[in-house]
Amino acid sequence: MSARHGRLPVATLAMLAWRNLWRNRRRTLITLTTIAFGFGLSVLLIGLNDGGHNSMIRNAINMGEGHLTVQPPGYLESPANHRYLADGARLSSLLGALAVAGGIEPRISLQVLASTAHNSVGAGLEGIVPRGDSRARMLEPALVGGEWLEEGDARGIVIGDGMARKLKVPVGGKVVLMAGERGGDTQAQLARVRGIFDSRVDELDDFLILGDLELARRFLVGEGADPEREPVTRFAVFLDDPDSVTYWKRAVSSALAGESAVALDWREMMPQLVQFIAVDDAGAYVFLVLVLIMVVFGILNTVLMSVLERTREFGLLRALGLGRRQLLMLVCCETLALSVLAVVTGWVVGGGAHWWLSRHGVDFSALISGGTAIMGTFMDPVVYTELSAGRVWQLTVIVFVATLASGIYPALKAVRVTPVQALRT
Amino acid sequence: MALLTLAGICKYYRQGSHEVRALHGIDLVVDKGEFAALVGPSGSGKTTLLNVIGGLDTPSAGSARLDGTEITRLGESALSDFRLFELGFVFQAYNLVPVLSALENVELVMVLQGRSAADRRRRAEHYLHLVGLDEAMHRRPSALSGGQQQRVAVARALAAGPRLVLADEPTANLDSENATALLDIMHSLSHQDETTFIFSTHDPRVMERAERIITLRDGTIESDERLERHHSQRAAS
Repeated sequence: MSARHGRLPVATLAMLAWRNLWRNRRRTLITLTTIAFGFGLSVLLIGLNDGGHNSMIRNAINMGEGHLTVQPPGYLESPANHRYLADGARLSSLLGALAVAGGIEPRISLQVLASTAHNSVGAGLEGIVPRGDSRARMLEPALVGGEWLEEGDARGIVIGDGMARKLKVPVGGKVVLMAGERGGDTQAQLARVRGIFDSRVDELDDFLILGDLELARRFLVGEGADPEREPVTRFAVFLDDPDSVTYWKRAVSSALAGESAVALDWREMMPQLVQFIAVDDAGAYVFLVLVLIMVVFGILNTVLMSVLERTREFGLLRALGLGRRQLLMLVCCETLALSVLAVVTGWVVGGGAHWWLSRHGVDFSALISGGTAIMGTFMDPVVYTELSAGRVWQLTVIVFVATLASGIYPALKAVRVTPVQALRT
Repeated sequence: MALLTLAGICKYYRQGSHEVRALHGIDLVVDKGEFAALVGPSGSGKTTLLNVIGGLDTPSAGSARLDGTEITRLGESALSDFRLFELGFVFQAYNLVPVLSALENVELVMVLQGRSAADRRRRAEHYLHLVGLDEAMHRRPSALSGGQQQRVAVARALAAGPRLVLADEPTANLDSENATALLDIMHSLSHQDETTFIFSTHDPRVMERAERIITLRDGTIESDERLERHHSQRAAS
């Protein structure tokens, strides 16, 4: 006998697999519909999840300290009014030279005690550029009384309605801001309420006081800072491209080498938010796993039934000279075809829904009338689905691998059959 | 000249606590070009013997050689290749792959053999023409009658150019007219290609056309009869 070997060309393999897939058209269509529906739901859920999270992150970044924050070393671990960037002018010049694609905002963040004749509350005083700061852009539309700060208004402040209630202070009312000095003394500045906002985020409404940089800088001068060097407590760096954080963090850190300042990204600045999102993502992954189980059993059912129904045919093919490995490839190829169809159909269903919802969004305002504040930030009531390229790739690979893996058992079952056993059936 | 030599073939298997002797001490020599029938009552061992010759089943003892190749010593993969290149099979029923047309079914084995597309198409069409299925070659099995399906199976078995064709009760599910037609085709192609045929049957119509009748009973050869009148018919044809 010659040493010739049988071979199954890919074209024949693909043709057989494709035709076998459609032998029981109804079953295949039901399976595909189930998988596509489940996959589409997963795409939507993950898209909404990511959209909600991204909304929270964007708001946290805009309301907070930007994509990158330049501040004194150790400030994050131990914030104190005497920790500041003494030479703000020089740092501003260094950062300006980088020509960051976005914006840089100088800020002075201080812990103060706000007092009126009626009450005293702990507060966070944020000295900002009234017309240029991102917080001003977000909170000015939320004004419920009075007006916004003007440039150079060294006495004016804007507070939240929560704090106004606690202090029992109206627009135009006086508030004394007191801050402790490093030596143990106390310094105070008199301020007047120009406006009251309602952001629907309790942490902001109850705690935040916004004032001109000059007002806040008076406290730093009291700590011994030189006003000529324009001291600040931090610079918030906002990037046009949020995905360029790593690049710009490296660039800013290089520019600050030798200076008494560090650059931190928003993840380092808001570890609780990152943790919250990770936990929330875990919930979404649990749903995804449930959908995957449904998908796996859908494919397993279809392929296994198809294999069990064709035992005699497999015996015939083996008798004709088809090797075990070739038979294994045939069944695997059928699963592969089903997987590809399932993923494509799933993306048509889920991708279509995502495309629509990424433009029109889902309005949750009726469901969350009590506000959408979470972890010191808030989620926009209308959530738009968002899927990054990485997410698309991740979902595709996960579903594809899961469906492909579900064909392994039927394939092994098919090749275990001996021709004699199979032909007896 | 001996094509197939069986020596001391035994096949035993257990059924509960009972040992069944399906084949016991089969010695047989089949020459090239023979058209031989294995006959005998149900359970006599016809199908088991065909399975052993075809490498579909392994004997408990004994030797089976086809043109010098010891079939019983071949491994799993070598057996697949052996069946692919050396043997043709026609089974009692469900011979065809349902998702392939008659032409594609005949071509399938040649695809596995690695023949060129042009060669296999030419051979497939030729053999389908010989079995009288020119008009039906693009139909799928579900659109063919039982007799037509068996003829496609014969065309497939021969188109691949085997040394030996094994047919297990090929006419069992056919009516008299179709059975006779199929046997005539097999007989004629056997002579034309000088292909050796061994087929099991208990159909008298099949036995009539056999040139050699090997009768099995209880797993042993009861008689082995060469019928001279068929040889003379063959010489005349």
